Amino acid sequence: MRQAAIRQLRAWAARRHGRDSLPIKISRRRIYILPTRFGLMLAFVLVAMMIAGLNYNSNLGLAFAFLMVSVALVTMHHCNRNLLGLQVDVTTEVDAFAGREASFEFVLRNDSNVERRDVEICCMTAAGMRSVAAKSSESVPVAVPVTQRGMSRIDQFELRTRYPFGWFHAWTYVQGSLTAYVAPSPHGNRTLPAVGGVGSVDRGALAGDEDFAGLRAYEPGVPLKHMAWKVLARGGEAAVQSYTSLASQPEWLEWSSLEGQDTETRLSQLCLWVLESEAAQRVFGLRIPGKEIPPARGAAHRFACLRALAIYGIAEPR
Amino acid sequence: MSSDSVSYQQLLGIFACLALALVAHLESLPVWVLAAVGVSGGIRLLLARYGRPVPRSARLGVAALAIALLFLQFHTFNGLSAGTALLALMAGLKLLETDTRRDIYVITLIIYFVSLSALLEGESFWLLAYLIGVCWLTAATLLRLTTTLPVPDWRRCLRYSGRILSQALPLALVFWLLFPRFSGPLWHIPDTGHSAGSGLSDSMSPGDIDQLALSDEVAFRVRFAAATPSPQDRYWRGPVLHDFDGRTWRRSHSTTPGAPPLQPQGPAYRYTVSLEPHQHNWIYTLDWPSRWDLPGATLTADYTLVQQGPVSRPLDVDATSYTRVQSSAPLSDPLRTRDTRLSPGRNPRAVQFAQTLRSEHPDDMEYVRAVLSLFTQQPFYYTLTPPKLPRDSVDAFLFDTKRGFCEHYASAFAMLMRAAGIPSHVVTGYQGGTFNRFADYWIVRQSDAHAWDEVWIEGRGWMRIDPTAAIAPGRIEQGLNDALSADEPLVSRWQRRSAWFADVRLRLDALRQLWRGRILFFDQESQHKLLEWLNIPEPDGQKLVLLLTAALTLVLCWLTWQVRREIDPVRKELLIRAYARLCSKLAAVGMPRLAHEGAEDYAARVAERRPDLGSAVTALCRHYSSLRYAAAPARITINQFDAAVRAFRPKAKPARGQSSTPQDSRAS
Repeated sequence: MRQAAIRQLRAWAARRHGRDSLPIKISRRRIYILPTRFGLMLAFVLVAMMIAGLNYNSNLGLAFAFLMVSVALVTMHHCNRNLLGLQVDVTTEVDAFAGREASFEFVLRNDSNVERRDVEICCMTAAGMRSVAAKSSESVPVAVPVTQRGMSRIDQFELRTRYPFGWFHAWTYVQGSLTAYVAPSPHGNRTLPAVGGVGSVDRGALAGDEDFAGLRAYEPGVPLKHMAWKVLARGGEAAVQSYTSLASQPEWLEWSSLEGQDTETRLSQLCLWVLESEAAQRVFGLRIPGKEIPPARGAAHRFACLRALAIYGIAEPR
Repeated sequence: MSSDSVSYQQLLGIFACLALALVAHLESLPVWVLAAVGVSGGIRLLLARYGRPVPRSARLGVAALAIALLFLQFHTFNGLSAGTALLALMAGLKLLETDTRRDIYVITLIIYFVSLSALLEGESFWLLAYLIGVCWLTAATLLRLTTTLPVPDWRRCLRYSGRILSQALPLALVFWLLFPRFSGPLWHIPDTGHSAGSGLSDSMSPGDIDQLALSDEVAFRVRFAAATPSPQDRYWRGPVLHDFDGRTWRRSHSTTPGAPPLQPQGPAYRYTVSLEPHQHNWIYTLDWPSRWDLPGATLTADYTLVQQGPVSRPLDVDATSYTRVQSSAPLSDPLRTRDTRLSPGRNPRAVQFAQTLRSEHPDDMEYVRAVLSLFTQQPFYYTLTPPKLPRDSVDAFLFDTKRGFCEHYASAFAMLMRAAGIPSHVVTGYQGGTFNRFADYWIVRQSDAHAWDEVWIEGRGWMRIDPTAAIAPGRIEQGLNDALSADEPLVSRWQRRSAWFADVRLRLDALRQLWRGRILFFDQESQHKLLEWLNIPEPDGQKLVLLLTAALTLVLCWLTWQVRREIDPVRKELLIRAYARLCSKLAAVGMPRLAHEGAEDYAARVAERRPDLGSAVTALCRHYSSLRYAAAPARITINQFDAAVRAFRPKAKPARGQSSTPQDSRAS
């Protein structure tokens, strides 16, 4: 029942505030606050204190009871303020593998002169907590478990705090979409296909000048050391030095080489190969039905390959 | 919460807070309760030190035992002392089983309630201040407990909770001033089994009052509305004693209702008597009371004002008295019998002496005068340290020792009257008092305790005779200090030597009286007066609630502003606007800021080209940099900076010949 109420509240907040574009500054209109269980116990004691003071006609007792009531009210403001004006951003695209966690990196920025203590970010079932000093920012990694390959999208996350004293619970919902491309779980029993002719790419040979084959147009994912910096410095187009070993003998990770297996097994095998190739610093390309990624190397290339595997057979996000 | 377990340090902190709160109950709680709390806290701490939990069987056993003992002691859990004891025990037992944070939360709530219960019957400012301090400490402990990640140090926790506490003060003041008070309790409060009363009691043996004379404790304070009676009329009437067994005078238990009416003579004195709690049911009034403003109080047949229950809390009574009265009504037979009765066979020498003297003086007044002159003619001595007296105390005093304090003289005189057939009784109370010239009221201390007599003279009624006035007139005129010789052991004597110290004491007493009148006795009537003072006509409860709501709204708005001010970006905008204003003022005199120039570079360039503006601009720019960029708080606020920029008026051209003198408009 409680879960249902929270779900309704989340939906209502989403309708009320609409979609948010990150980074977002937490405004006072979107902070909700309620007493915690401890706060309710305190309220009960405070009421008892006031009744005792009134019954005994004790002005000092009443003064004390009213002071405690006021402290609780002030604390409510402080709890609310702990979130107010905080800026939240998040790295929206992270890679993840099915059955593991998508680690979102949230950034809390505090422009004010007061420290924000114990701010918790909740995303689905995962949460991370940080304190942000005055005029500084902190990053909060939140690892959300993902089970299925594909594009995992989180439409809402929550910021909450109980600071100070734990009497109140202030929270806010942010409707910012977080996207994780969940690549297939990397596993398989096939060995990495050998590169035609050359067994492996030798780094020493790559660096040598004798194999230099000319300039190619720049494409993303090319290792920085192959950039033709001199050409760029002269004011020319961004170009890449092309080497015979790279240009002529790329390693292709082929969908078609995995005949006789079902789709998910193939994808898992390809995913494993991508990781292994990248770890071995090879230059590789990926060819799956409907998508061909030309051979290259580096983080961006790896990301592009994993993304292609993640969304294979699933509608491309717009 | 990252972890739910409780560390030794946290336990120690909360235990210290609980102990500090219980200190306020040292007098009212049974020692074993305090000991039990201390022991369970100690055991828990010791075990926590070595990382061991408390065995469950021990907890249950201790809990059952403690609660059984508590019930045996109080026979109830209702009422203040029993309730507080129960709470204290619960807190102690809770300490035994604090394994999780939630247990500690419960203890903090108990600390708050235990603090409150100390205040319900307390009355001093210091107690309130102390308990607020305890709560501050508890809040800081709780803050450390509820904060995860790097837990801030004690100083920061204390500062932050102190800040919350200080922001709560205005709100609490509004609540306290305007929250409607009830005229009576919501339900009956059980009598707290209080200790023996202080001050006078309902019996008097030789030696009782000279014990009191050594006490500096305040019995009550009196403020006269207009005229103040002369010293020989300032008799404060307490219990009247009728039954005499030869040594001890006692209050009569056979109550005869209906005091014979008195015809007042002379002026009426209106006054307010502020009683300290003395646990008896009588109320000290100026002799003789005629009107009083206290529901439920009545006058006994011997003209003592009494109320239903004991005076267990400070009490203010407005009353009117006449110092001279007369009664032409005859004395009823039961009263006459009561006040002429003597224990047969006791004090035979005095009885015989009285009968002899009576035969010489058949007239009542003559006889009274003869007895009084006996005290002055024979070598009677007024002293605080009389010798001990045997069972027939009057005989021994009159014929052997001849040394005594007021109760000896009053006792002997009344006995001699009764032996001669003249109705008489002993009145105990206070006489005199110290005037507090700083606040215009009288302080009556226990050392002003006194005993005197009343005799029935036909056709005149009850007449006050004070034999002490005959033997030591200074006691009545100036007070005890002057009436006794210098070697008497009197506590307050040394204070007389230092006028400065006496003044400080009086000023402190005046403050206490102010606290009592303004704070302790703040009630519905005071609230209505407050409304009248605010020009609200015909004050009533409804208007009070309306005012409370309005005031709360205002204070809460202030609070919101106060709390959010620190994170308000608008204030930065104000700073930037003010700086832009400074730049445009300088641009108007031909020195616009260049786009790449920082504040300090700009100031340096201005100072170079216009030395007359240099110091002012440099100061302003430095303030701007520190306000905008420095982590440490700047020396001036943004508002002050804004004001300084507004006041800054650069002249278009440097005045000739004084180009090096700084401009008179300066920053800060």
